[in-house]
This record gives sequence, C-alpha cells and structure tokens, in this order.
Amino acid sequence: MRALLRWVRADLRAHRGQATLMVLVTAVIAVSLILANALLQDAANPWQRIFLQSRGAHVWIHMRPGADTAPLSRLDGVTGVAGPYRTAPADLVRGTEKVGLELRAAGAEPPSVARPLVRSGRWLDPARPDSIVLEGSLAHAMRVGVGNTVTVHGRDGATRPMRVLGIADSADQGSYPDWTPGLGWVLPSALDRVVPEPVHTQQVIGLRLRDPGAADFTAQQVVTTLGSGQVTQVTTWQQVRSAMGQDNRLLGLLLGVFGLVALVAAALAMAGAAGSRVLVQVRDIAVLKTIGFTPAQVVRLFLYEHTALALAGMVLGAGAASLFGPLLPGALGEAMGLWQAEPAHAGALAATGAGVVLSIALATVLPAWRAGRIPAAPTVRANHPASGISRLARLALLLKLPPALALGSRAAFHRPLRAGLTVARLAIPIMMITVALGSWATLDGFQDHPRQLGLAASLTARPSGMGDAEARRLLTRQPEVAAAYPGVETPALVPGETTTITVRALGTADHPYPFALAAGHLIRDEDEAVAGQGALDLLHARVGEWVRVMAGGTPHILHIVGRDIEPDHNGEMLSVELGALAGPGGPPKTQYDALVLRPGADPKAVRADLIAASHGRLDVRSVANPADRLGMVRVVVVGLVGVLTLIGLAELVTATASGLRDHIRDLGVLRAMGLTPRQVTAIIVTSTGLLAMVAVLVGTGLGVLLSDRLINMEGQASGVGAGIARMPAPETLLLAGAVAVAVAACVSVVPATRATRARITTVLSASRT
Amino acid sequence: MNRSGPDTAGAAATAHPDHVLPPAEAMLWARDLVKVHHGAETATHAVRHVDLRVDRGEFVAIMGPSGAGKSTLLHLLGGLDRPDSGRIWLDGQRVDGLTEARWSLLRRRTVGIVFQFFNLVTNMTAADNVELPALLAGMSPKQARTRREELFAELDLDDRAGSTPAALSGGEQQRVALARALVNEPGLLLADEPTGNLDSRNTRDVLRLLARYHARGQTILLVTHDARVASSADRVISLYDGEIADDSALHAPSASPTTVADVLRLKG
Repeated sequence: MRALLRWVRADLRAHRGQATLMVLVTAVIAVSLILANALLQDAANPWQRIFLQSRGAHVWIHMRPGADTAPLSRLDGVTGVAGPYRTAPADLVRGTEKVGLELRAAGAEPPSVARPLVRSGRWLDPARPDSIVLEGSLAHAMRVGVGNTVTVHGRDGATRPMRVLGIADSADQGSYPDWTPGLGWVLPSALDRVVPEPVHTQQVIGLRLRDPGAADFTAQQVVTTLGSGQVTQVTTWQQVRSAMGQDNRLLGLLLGVFGLVALVAAALAMAGAAGSRVLVQVRDIAVLKTIGFTPAQVVRLFLYEHTALALAGMVLGAGAASLFGPLLPGALGEAMGLWQAEPAHAGALAATGAGVVLSIALATVLPAWRAGRIPAAPTVRANHPASGISRLARLALLLKLPPALALGSRAAFHRPLRAGLTVARLAIPIMMITVALGSWATLDGFQDHPRQLGLAASLTARPSGMGDAEARRLLTRQPEVAAAYPGVETPALVPGETTTITVRALGTADHPYPFALAAGHLIRDEDEAVAGQGALDLLHARVGEWVRVMAGGTPHILHIVGRDIEPDHNGEMLSVELGALAGPGGPPKTQYDALVLRPGADPKAVRADLIAASHGRLDVRSVANPADRLGMVRVVVVGLVGVLTLIGLAELVTATASGLRDHIRDLGVLRAMGLTPRQVTAIIVTSTGLLAMVAVLVGTGLGVLLSDRLINMEGQASGVGAGIARMPAPETLLLAGAVAVAVAACVSVVPATRATRARITTVLSASRT
Repeated sequence: MNRSGPDTAGAAATAHPDHVLPPAEAMLWARDLVKVHHGAETATHAVRHVDLRVDRGEFVAIMGPSGAGKSTLLHLLGGLDRPDSGRIWLDGQRVDGLTEARWSLLRRRTVGIVFQFFNLVTNMTAADNVELPALLAGMSPKQARTRREELFAELDLDDRAGSTPAALSGGEQQRVALARALVNEPGLLLADEPTGNLDSRNTRDVLRLLARYHARGQTILLVTHDARVASSADRVISLYDGEIADDSALHAPSASPTTVADVLRLKG
C-alpha cells in the first residue's frame, strides 16, 4: 500500500495539469448534478410541505351559489371538508397594475382543513372589516407587503380599498402567475361590500380524502351528486402540484439530463485519459512489474489514482455547491437553500457524490485492467508494422497538398479503431453543446417569433368602465395594433372526466385568430375547435375526433380540427371561435380583446399609449411569455456549455498525448528525412484538428437530431405541445464548430512544439524502449 | 556469505514430481529451456534447449553477438518472459510454472534486475525509485530510507536523491538502477547489458561496483556482447543462435576479490 501511495503521489506531481483538469471536470459535474437534484426536489416539495402543514384538500369544487353541499361531506372516503366558502371574481389593483383575484369569504378563525398558513402579518380580524389576507405568490408578484393598501374592484363596479393584514401560503391552487386568478381571503361582510350581487358569487368547497389516489373518482362522484349544471370547476391536487413545480421541474430536468450526459461524457473522457496514460507509461508500468509490482497491484494503482481524483473533484464540487449554492441568484439559490433544510438532503447529496465517483471509477476499470496486462519485460514492445498510406492521405497526396496535411491526415486515421474512439468521445460533448444551443434557440424563438409559438397576441385589453363599442373604436385607432380579436374564456367540464379545461372563444369564422398550428387546420366553422397538447391529453382525444364539453351549463359538441401550440395553462386549452359559445341570446359578451401588434411594435409602449388614450378605462395586460420565466434556463445553458467544453478539452489533451505517443518515432524519422520542425508541428496539429473536425461533424449532426426530439418531448410533456423546438442557426453551428476545431489545433500546438524541439537522437533512442 | 531468499531450497525441490533435485549450491538452475518468438511470418528460435547452472556467489557472463538470444534467456530467468518449455529452479524453488503475480512477489526479494536503458520510473525521484521496491518488500518507510541512504552513500549518489531520472547522467542513472536492484539484497542480480549505453569511464565504474558486490558474495548473471565486460566475470558462457557454444571458467570458481582486481588491472 505504501509503495502504491508513493507511486501515485509521484505520478500526480508529474501530471499536475492533467490531474487538476480531471478534478475540475468532476467537481463541475458534481455541482450540476447536485443543483439538478435540488431543483427537482424543490419542484415537488414546496407544494408537498404546504399541503402537509395546512392539511390540504385533495379536490376543490367551484359551484353555483345555490348548490347544496351537505351531501358532499357524506361521500365515501371524505375525511374532512374545507368550506363551503362564498367566492367571487374581482380585480386587485396596485398602482397601475391590475390582476385577477378570487376573493374568498373566510371566518375569523382559519379553517382546520386547507388552513392557509400565515407567513407574515396575521389572519382576518372582525375588528378590521376592510382588510384582506393575500396568498404568498400573488403578494410577491404584486410586490405587496403586510400593511400596504390595495384596491379591490368588484366585477359589478364596486371598488374598495383594503389593507393587507397578512400573507399566507396555501396549497389550494398553483402559484401566481402560472395559476390565475390569484387568491385572497376577506371576511364575509367585506365580500358583500365588494360584490353586492349574489348572482356574481360562487361557492367553493375542498374535500380531504382518505386515499389521495381516489381524487379523480371522488370528483366524478361530486359531479354526479350535484348535477353537472351546478359544478363550474373541479381541481385535483395532482393538477395543483404539477402547476406549482412546472418551471423548476423543467430546469431540474434540463440540468439533470445534461448532468447525466456530462457524467457519461466525463467518465468516457476519464477512461480515455487513463487509457492514454497507460499507453504513454507502458515502459514505466513494465519497470514497476520488474521491481515486484503484481498485475493486480498495477490495476489498483490506476484505479486508486483515478478514483482519488474523482473523489477530490466530488468533494470540491459538493463543498462548493453546499457553500455557494444558496447564494446563487434566482430559483437556483432558493432551491438550494430550501433543499439544504430538508432532512433527506444529506442522503441525496451522498448518493449523488457516490454515483459520480463510482461512474468514474467504473470507467477506469478497463484501462486499468489493460495496464495490468502489460508484459514485464520493458524492451518487449513489438514495433507495429508500418501501415500503408490511408485513403485520405493518398487523396491529399494526389491533390498535391502540402506534406504536413498529407502526413497529418495519415497520422489521424492510420489506426481506425483508436481514431474512431477518439472521435466518439469528442463528439459526445459537442452533441450536448448542440442540444444546449437548440434550447437557447427555442427560447429565442419564443422571444423573437412569438406568433409561431402560440403567442400571436402580445396584449389583452379589457374595458373597465367604458363600453365595448367605444373600446373597439379606441383599439382600431391605435396604429400599432394590427388586429384585435374579441375573446371569452370559460372553464368547461368534460362529461365522464373529472377535471376542468379552459374553453377559449377567440376571433370569428370570418376573422379567425392566427393560432400557431402544429397539426390540422384553423377553425372554419362554429363547431370546430383547436386544442393544446394538454387538452388533448386530458380529453384522451386526437385531432379529427369529436368531443363533448359542458361550458356555462350548456353542452357543446366540438370537432377538433387542429392542435395548436399553447404555452399557457399547461396547454389545457380548447379554442373555438366566438360563435361556438353562442347561447339563445346570441354570441356571448366578450371579456377581452386579444391584440396582435404590428411587427416591431413594443408591447410596453403600446400598452402605455392605450391606457393613456382611454384615461385608465381600459385594462391592458401583457401576455406572459414563457421565455421570460425561463430566463434561468439561459444561465444553465451557459454553465453547461462551460462544463462540456471542459470535458472536450480534457479529451483533446488525451487525444494529442496519445497521438504523439503513437507517432513520436515516425516524427523523428521524418525530421531525420528533412522536414523542418515547423512542418512536423503542423503534422501533429493537422492530425488533431482533423479528428476534431470529424467529431464536430458527427456531434453536431447527432445533436441537431437529438435537440429537436428532446425539446419537443419536453414540450409534449408540459402540455405546450411538440413543434416548439427551433434549430440553432446554421451560422451559430458553423461558428461553434470552427471554434472547436481551432481550440483543438491550439491545444495540440504546445505538446507538438515540445515534441519537435526534442533532439532527433533522443526521440529515436527513447522510442526503442 | 550467502544471501538466499526467504524460501529454503529443500522444501520446494522435494515437492517436485519429477524427483529431479537442483544441486544444493545452485542459486539458479535451468534445464532444457526453449523460447520461440513468433513474428508475423517467421518464427525465431531465440533460446534452444539451454541448460544452465549458476552457483551461489558466482559471477557469470553470457556473451554473444546481437540476436544470439542473450536478453531473451535473461528475461526467462528473471520471469519477465515465459519459456515455451524447460524448467527453472531459483534458490531451490521450481519457478517456471509460477503465475505472473507469484513471479512479481519472488522478484521483490530474490531477483534484482539492471537494464541497458536503466529503466527508472520517469515520474519518480532517484530516491523514490530505490525506496519503492523496498516498500514493496515490506520495509517501513524509515527502514527503506536508511537502506537507500546507505546505498547512495556507497554509490556516490548522495546529492542526487531528489533528482528525477531526466536530470541524471547515464552513469548516474545506471548507479541508481543498481541501487534499486540491490536494495532488497536479492539472492540473484541479473544485468542485461548494463554498460551498453555508457562511456568507458562509466563502464569501468559500474563494473567496479559489480565486482565489489560480487566480492561480498552477490550472485551475478550478466549479459553482454562486449568481451572486455565479460572478462570481469568468473565464468563466461558463449551463446550463438540460442545455443550454448562454450562455457569456460576464467578463474577458480571460488571468486576472490584479488582475481577481479587482477582483471581490472589487466583491463585498465
């Protein structure tokens, strides 16, 4: 053991640079896997924590005001009931901002089931009737704190200033703004003052179940018991949970996938590095055997050394992630902070670390085993019979290319198997870099071409104190508005199904809204609809099929003629034209207008203009772009490209070293034949550059294919739908490839120059042993 | 003064099924060794039916032109390569069937080897190169260091302990290699053209050192193509085309310092 340690120490000292690179690569991979872990945990956990603490309800049902809720508490499997509460839609105004709000009437005592967890301030107080408790994510988004005053607009015109008494966490619905409207609790008397007309109110009740898995079944029972005409909306805990973790889950998945692929790439890079070191050290290994190292000891030597390096990298990475992770800005830092407070954190951290070290150790087994098989006699090294000139080299000679190019191409590929392995190992990081660039391009697509990704309208306008006709006139006068599409949104129940989807009527048959279609065609008729992927999944339907939904108490039979890309509401959106929701009294009253702006118009400026022109009587909101929320993805992409570049560099160093080892004698002979040192350097650089070039071609090609698949898969899983993936621009790929080849050439210049500086005789005699 | 390895001669020999016992005084005994190198198209008979006996305390040189099979024979005797057929006893123990790992263990204590190209571990300092086999043989770091310091003092390498092989001259490297081969006081020292890469002054130094250790009872088997180097041995075996052509004693088998000194005087 002592002898082993002595050798490992000496070896590490001699290869400081390479060892440092290995440690760094491992550390960075450990960091990305740990962050991925934290994000994935966080994606599932904030909801879990709040749900447990608040004894959350598994099913939430919104009903018409008169519905009798008493039978619901007697349903089989129901262990607790929250409410029923009276609830009414309203708007929350603070400064110029105005957002939708669900007002819920609650008593002076918070309920025992689905109890809102007061995070700051206090719960409602009968002594202060005009006060409100806001849900945490809404308060955060509106930058409202305890003690602030907000204005609450009722839908029938009443306006009341209210003081924020407390801020509470709740697992009743997803976090704002992913889930709208936001949630606020007021005393029943305050609700009456804001919404005096009972017809505008609803009832909401939460059911806590013995078996959370029975949520869907219970929801169905509720609809049967009350009658589908009474129920306006049903939400299960699964929907809330998935909505709450959406962004972080995406980030976590992204980091996780990249982290794992990076781990595989790094393990391969380590195996390559170890393999090349075995080749370079054949003579030393033989010597070790002559002085009494057994083959098993030689194997252990390499295994221990590389495992120790991986261990050092892992400890460094885990330490850095634990110390500095919580200090990171945004979601990453928050997730790390929360994760560290979890009891399972230590175990997960240890498991991640152990996984990293183990994969690298496993990757080293093969090269270590080969080291153990090296014969003891140091001089026994058969000279490889000189292979013929490769086809590529022959071509180069035929084209009368400079000798460096011809010989370089021969050097690169004269051992096809090893060249192939090098190319494969280099191609993996390049492939993943291409995927990262694809993610970047997709985000760019959301920002630069929102129309193609389901975000044709960038503003919505809602009359607030002005007539529809006047509002329409105002909108058409605004030169930057290319088109205004009247729209209505209403929750709809799917008979036989247990959850709600949103039906959106937008545009008319003559003037159809430009949905971003991924399949099928646009709406041409009243009974036609286009659906987001999320809606198709919920309805278990495909494009071309007929579906039946209950919207506003009326059954509608719709023909799904297309699938559109739907970045909102997890894609659980069925879009029709306005006439489709027409009742006996004609088309429904429009709620808002979706505004498509002229190319190049700035939505913020147009919004300000419209608000000014209407003297504040038009409520204009920006449509949320998922790319804005996913800004963190860009940070992650940059980080990942950094990691992958490091891995690629490690691979290049290996490739150059083993290339030199293979050809050192040939190079000596070439110099003896009269090639200048510069020409010899050029041969080595050409050979590495050519290998890199092939790897770039292979890696980029595979990456483009994979990126398209991966991003569309993620799109499909998140409900947005396949068809969002964008290719990185060809010039970006070209530039990245050129940079990779240039870096490869640069990396090989130093060892190449060093090799050519050695005296010819030294080179020739050294290679005899 | 005999330096035998940890295994005693008798026990292993009596266990041998052929009931052929090596002579008690033989440090190395080889019978009917054959080794064929198989090339791409041709087979080279490197060693043909060689019988060889080296007694304890003997200094034997194997001489022959390039390609005579000298180095191959030495590799077979040191366990660096396997014979195609034939038997080898080392210090009374039958060794030709040992696994590579058992050979490694045996070499730690019983066989020291010196090569033409020195073959020091390039990443390690001169001191580490010598202490490594000592640690492998089970010495404590302190013992290994003391032993190495003794050898370095004797071989005039005191100030080179911290240097890497690349910073040493050829003569220095070969002295470090010699120190490494001797650090565990092996029963047999094998030397493969130890002076082949040295100038005449360093050649003389190395031969003087070999003679000194021989005088203390070290058994040495040396391979060389240089008749002057071979003449420092007690006995010279000539090898041609893998066969022993001649085996002649230069001096009385009982080596004494004076005879070696005589040879050196003759050479000088």
